[in-house]
Amino acid sequence: MKTRWPGIGLLILMVWLSGCALFGRGKEYRPFDAKALERVKPGETTGTEVTQWFGAPTQVVRLSNGNAYIYARTLSKATGVWLLLVTLVNYDTQHDRIVFFIDKSDVVTHYGSSFEAEKAGYGMPW
Amino acid sequence: MKPRKPVMECRGNRLLWAMTLLLLSQFYGCLSFRIEKVNIDAEVQPLPQEFVVGKTTLTDVLASYGAPVDVVDMKGHFALHYLRTFYRGGSLSLGIPLADVLRVSPTLNATGNLQRFDSAVFIFTLDGVLADMSYARGTSQPLWETYWK
Repeated sequence: MKTRWPGIGLLILMVWLSGCALFGRGKEYRPFDAKALERVKPGETTGTEVTQWFGAPTQVVRLSNGNAYIYARTLSKATGVWLLLVTLVNYDTQHDRIVFFIDKSDVVTHYGSSFEAEKAGYGMPW
Repeated sequence: MKPRKPVMECRGNRLLWAMTLLLLSQFYGCLSFRIEKVNIDAEVQPLPQEFVVGKTTLTDVLASYGAPVDVVDMKGHFALHYLRTFYRGGSLSLGIPLADVLRVSPTLNATGNLQRFDSAVFIFTLDGVLADMSYARGTSQPLWETYWK
């Protein structure tokens, strides 16, 4: 007589392993070019040139001695696993940022940059 | 030679196992456990020893830390703020579906979450000289003890 146990075992295994996984990627994109930073020279470059090369800033901060232009874009990665009883979720968000300090004469005095967006990663929550 | 188990007893055990597994599988949706982690931004490095108030300049800080999350005007001074946010959350949910039998379905939900921050603040004079600095590493605090503090 042919046994039915392997079929029943497979069915139970399928019920137990029912679940799903998610991989998500979100981007707040702004088209500023990191290579354009090579053209920026503190003491020479003007605020007008900065906006020509990098576009409109994400944020402008008014300072006592001028302004700060902040450019930012974001990359987020999400990983989720739904198993029978356990849900595991991980989000990682990283930014690319550039900040220019511009004095009252519209000249760039300082600038700084961080390019971390591509380091956003998928993973488990531990 | 070992005596073999009767065929009926063996099948009975398997059936019991199968029924137990099927019963457990029915708890899907009644009992659930969720673990969540959210990280925003890169690690904020501790203050370098070579940073000295009255000596270190805005150029030095920007070269070492890059662009800040925020620039704040402080009327006569301004500050750069570097921040990393790290969130951990967990929840346990247990529901007993008895609505068809008793017209009530008792449920129990327990949730907890903890948000910690690594933060560095540099305050400058209008000339771009460091006037003050501060650093806190929240992510090094123990998860469980910090949550119950």
